[in-house]
Amino acid sequence: MSSRGEGLVRLRHLQFVVLFIFGAILLRLAWIQLFDSKYKDMARNNVLRHVTLYPARGEIYDRNGEFLAQSRECYDLMVVYRELPKTGFDTVRLCQMLNIPRTKLERELSSARYAPRAARRIVSYVPKETKLLLDEYKIPGFYTVYRTVRQYPRKVGGNLLGYVGEVSEQMLRRYDNYEVGDYIGLTGVEAAYEEVLKGKKGLRVEEIDAYGAVKGSYMDGAFDTIPEHGKSIVCTIDAKLQLFAEELMEGKVGAAVAIEPSTGEILMMVSSPTYDPDKLVGRERGNNYMDMLRNKRRPLYNRAVKAKYPPGSTFKLVQGLIGMQEGVLRPSQTYPCHLGYRAGRVSMKCHEHRSPADLSYAVATSCNAYFCYVFRNILENPKYGGVKNGYDVWKEYVESFGFGRDLATDFMGEGSGYVPDKEFYNKRYRGSWNALTVLSLSIGQGELGCTPLQMANLAAIIANRGYYYLPHIVRSVEGQDSLDRRFYERHYTKVDSKHFEPIVQGMWRSVHVDGTSTWARLEGLDVCGKTGTAQNPHGKDHSTFLSFAPKDNPRIAISVYVENAGFGASMALPIASLLEELYLTGEVKRQNVVDYVKSHKVYYPRYDK
Amino acid sequence: MINNGRTNRINIFDGVDFKTVFLYIALTIVGVLCITSASFNAGEEEFFSFAHNHTKQLMWLGVAWVVAFVVMMLDSRYFHMLSYPAYLGGILLLVAVLLFGREVNGAKAWFQFGSIRVQPVEFAKIAIALAVARMMSGYSFAINRPSNLFRLGAMLLLPLSIIVLQNDTGSGIVLGSFLFVFYREGLNKWLCIPILLVALLFIVSFLVTPTAMLISLIVIFTLSEIMMNRLWRSRVVALAAVFLGSMVLHWLLRLCGVGWEYYVSLMISSFVGVAVAAVYAFRANLRNIFVLLALYLASMIFLPTTEHIFNNILKPHQQNRILVFLGAIEDLRGQGYNVHQSKIAIGSGGLFGKGFMQGTQIKYNFVPEKHTDFIFCTVGEEWGFLGALVVLGLMCALILRLMKMGERSGEPFTRVYCYCVASILLFHTLVNVGMTIGLMPVMGIPLPFISYGGSSLIAFTIMLFIAINLDASTRTEIGHRI
Repeated sequence: MSSRGEGLVRLRHLQFVVLFIFGAILLRLAWIQLFDSKYKDMARNNVLRHVTLYPARGEIYDRNGEFLAQSRECYDLMVVYRELPKTGFDTVRLCQMLNIPRTKLERELSSARYAPRAARRIVSYVPKETKLLLDEYKIPGFYTVYRTVRQYPRKVGGNLLGYVGEVSEQMLRRYDNYEVGDYIGLTGVEAAYEEVLKGKKGLRVEEIDAYGAVKGSYMDGAFDTIPEHGKSIVCTIDAKLQLFAEELMEGKVGAAVAIEPSTGEILMMVSSPTYDPDKLVGRERGNNYMDMLRNKRRPLYNRAVKAKYPPGSTFKLVQGLIGMQEGVLRPSQTYPCHLGYRAGRVSMKCHEHRSPADLSYAVATSCNAYFCYVFRNILENPKYGGVKNGYDVWKEYVESFGFGRDLATDFMGEGSGYVPDKEFYNKRYRGSWNALTVLSLSIGQGELGCTPLQMANLAAIIANRGYYYLPHIVRSVEGQDSLDRRFYERHYTKVDSKHFEPIVQGMWRSVHVDGTSTWARLEGLDVCGKTGTAQNPHGKDHSTFLSFAPKDNPRIAISVYVENAGFGASMALPIASLLEELYLTGEVKRQNVVDYVKSHKVYYPRYDK
Repeated sequence: MINNGRTNRINIFDGVDFKTVFLYIALTIVGVLCITSASFNAGEEEFFSFAHNHTKQLMWLGVAWVVAFVVMMLDSRYFHMLSYPAYLGGILLLVAVLLFGREVNGAKAWFQFGSIRVQPVEFAKIAIALAVARMMSGYSFAINRPSNLFRLGAMLLLPLSIIVLQNDTGSGIVLGSFLFVFYREGLNKWLCIPILLVALLFIVSFLVTPTAMLISLIVIFTLSEIMMNRLWRSRVVALAAVFLGSMVLHWLLRLCGVGWEYYVSLMISSFVGVAVAAVYAFRANLRNIFVLLALYLASMIFLPTTEHIFNNILKPHQQNRILVFLGAIEDLRGQGYNVHQSKIAIGSGGLFGKGFMQGTQIKYNFVPEKHTDFIFCTVGEEWGFLGALVVLGLMCALILRLMKMGERSGEPFTRVYCYCVASILLFHTLVNVGMTIGLMPVMGIPLPFISYGGSSLIAFTIMLFIAINLDASTRTEIGHRI
């Protein structure tokens, strides 16, 4: 043995080794327990399961209290991979219950394997009956989560109401209050009123053990929140009118919009072809959606607010109003018309009617020549010193009627139409153009583009004799006293109220005396109307009709636009007339007209080729 | 020794180091509390039911204390006398368990009597410690004499190989902790350092190429020889010669068209070097060189086979444990899961912990083996850093106390035995606590006095109280002499 002194030195060494080892352990402990906070988060993640409680989406009612969109109970089937029975389970039975192909289940399960502790949604839109079956059959690892989806009892207003879908990745990046798997309104009213309708998600924090079994509520529910039901909204839509309009427009491409002039409420808004909103709910949604995308008639395109149509003769009303306001037209002013208007090399055809015509007759019979004179007088007004300045003045007037800009409705995806400006023509004609060059604007042709909503708004302006309320789709929101202030303000055009009377007179005459719209007459309702036949490069003329009724204290202003259906009186007029009849009298007596509209086929070679 | 064959202690409490006993009692109580927390869930059936692990452990604690009394009543000379027979018995027990034992968790290391399982290796450790103490306390024993070293090595290698055959590698490696004792008993430190380095090298051997391993081994052994005999010039020349020779050999083999790797040439060259060194050592009468050469050759046996061992002898779970520990693979769902969860449990404890029976990670079974190998998680999670500080402080104090007991005794037998116990406790604590916090690879060895398990508790109790008994008797002896 070594000497006593050597032994003592070695004792010191070994004591040092012991202390060093314990010191190292303590340092490491201090690091993970006191300084590295990630373990505390991980412990919480281990033990706590945050269960989202989904709220029911707010209902949508029509103006008479009928359901347009309801929330229906349905379930998501979730799986936690590591809790699945080790011995396997009856996949065939499960697939049968869920009505899904086995390959889908297997695919989902194999992707669930990558995060075995996380809950993964396998199937959505599981109906309640299946959920009860699943509860009875109880396979460990599977559980259901309560959700709601939309259902549409009336099956109307596809484009109007819009649809609800899962949030996409771009949306998740843009809005931070959504999570993967949340539903969000994507178009239409659902999108415009998403904030109101969506409600508030609730949360339940549960303590779970290593096997995923729930051990109880975390801190007695101190962090739990109850889901808040989405608020319901009442639409301005009249479901019956909407349904009837959709029936009448079936097979035709176009749009119809009706507005209550005294409030700006949209009573009906159809974009045809439309679709059954229930088709964009549930498991078949993706397939139906793709079908619609492939459909050349584009049912998902909301023509009522997006399409740019030439307004045709209906635009003559605006022309006359501007002329009177500018002082270049008196209602009694007559102009000759012998099958058209000629000035130099420019000519504009017209149909056969009495000549000369005054303003109200020109409106009633839709004389092209008359409004060519009016338009030239506006543009060539000497007080502006040049056609181009005159054009600017004209454009300002047109825009005051709501054309060429979006109307700031409560509706998303509204198009602005198109009113060309001076620069547009300067560019096109290299600076050399005059009133004759742009003469087709006088009868609502040329570069002019209007949305059917803007045209309906024009009908409302004339019905109100000079002002409009912003058209809107929602009447009231649960828990809110009023809508946005802008919907209660009158918006005046630049034309004085007094100038409207001759125009209204012309529209009344068109229906009741000697005009193009006599078919629209409804006894005792004093319908006023204006037909339009818009030439277009795509084929047969578009048929359009603009109308309001009754003449005094009007209750409905309507615009119907049917693509390629010929004269305004041949298709748009009967549809508008029937809708007015239904809305104002509550029933439709002229079954022969209904039959005519429904049986009349319109051909669309450009969509269907 | 005075009273021939009779105990020289009238009272069994005479000369007992009560500080050690207090530390022991404190640690066992900590153990029972931890097991209670880990195994009892509020709302289950009654607290005192033998269905619970903590109740069983309480019973084992009672048994252990009785055993402690019995050990204290024995005459200290019996231990000296019975150490070789005990060693033999231990070896027989290990062989028996290898033949007739029961396999648990892949290790054939258990006897089963009814519902009670016993792990003989725990008791064999006592016998080995006694035998080592007996051998090293012999009058003619000098630790740096090669023949004695070889005897000692053989004494450890025999049980070690049986334990490894049982596939209980963790328990086998514990015997490596005896290096601690050998160092205290005067083993040349330049022998200790290469042994530690070589052990380290073999742990990381899966990460380095065989050639690099071989070069490191040659350099380590040459350096330690230089430090031992303080003759460096000739050794540097020899080292250079070995490497030069290997390169020439490699080049020649290339010329002959033999496509062996450099590794082979280097090994051949080093063997020639070993032969030359052996002749030199014999001539110069430098015996310690033989020990180093033997160690070098022994490690040579392992070297080409490490990869073979790793791939064929180590079970996949052991391979994964080592690879996970070395950071070569990250596997939080498989092998890494245990350590990851255990770190989460301990890390979430913070300074003060979550409180007794409040640990969520423990309570909800996130930590596997929570009442046996990973019992320290309960300490870390529920009692926090301060609790861990106290428990580790108790353990550290116990180890230092044992070393002190060994030092103050005049008897080499007592000293060596106390050091053996201290080194075993130190190793167990380091590995067990170290693995729960990611400092050590996972080896299935218990935390002394705290982990659940009757055989481990009783074996450690016997081991400790033999040390207390030996200490007590030498103290009273000294007292009688005065």
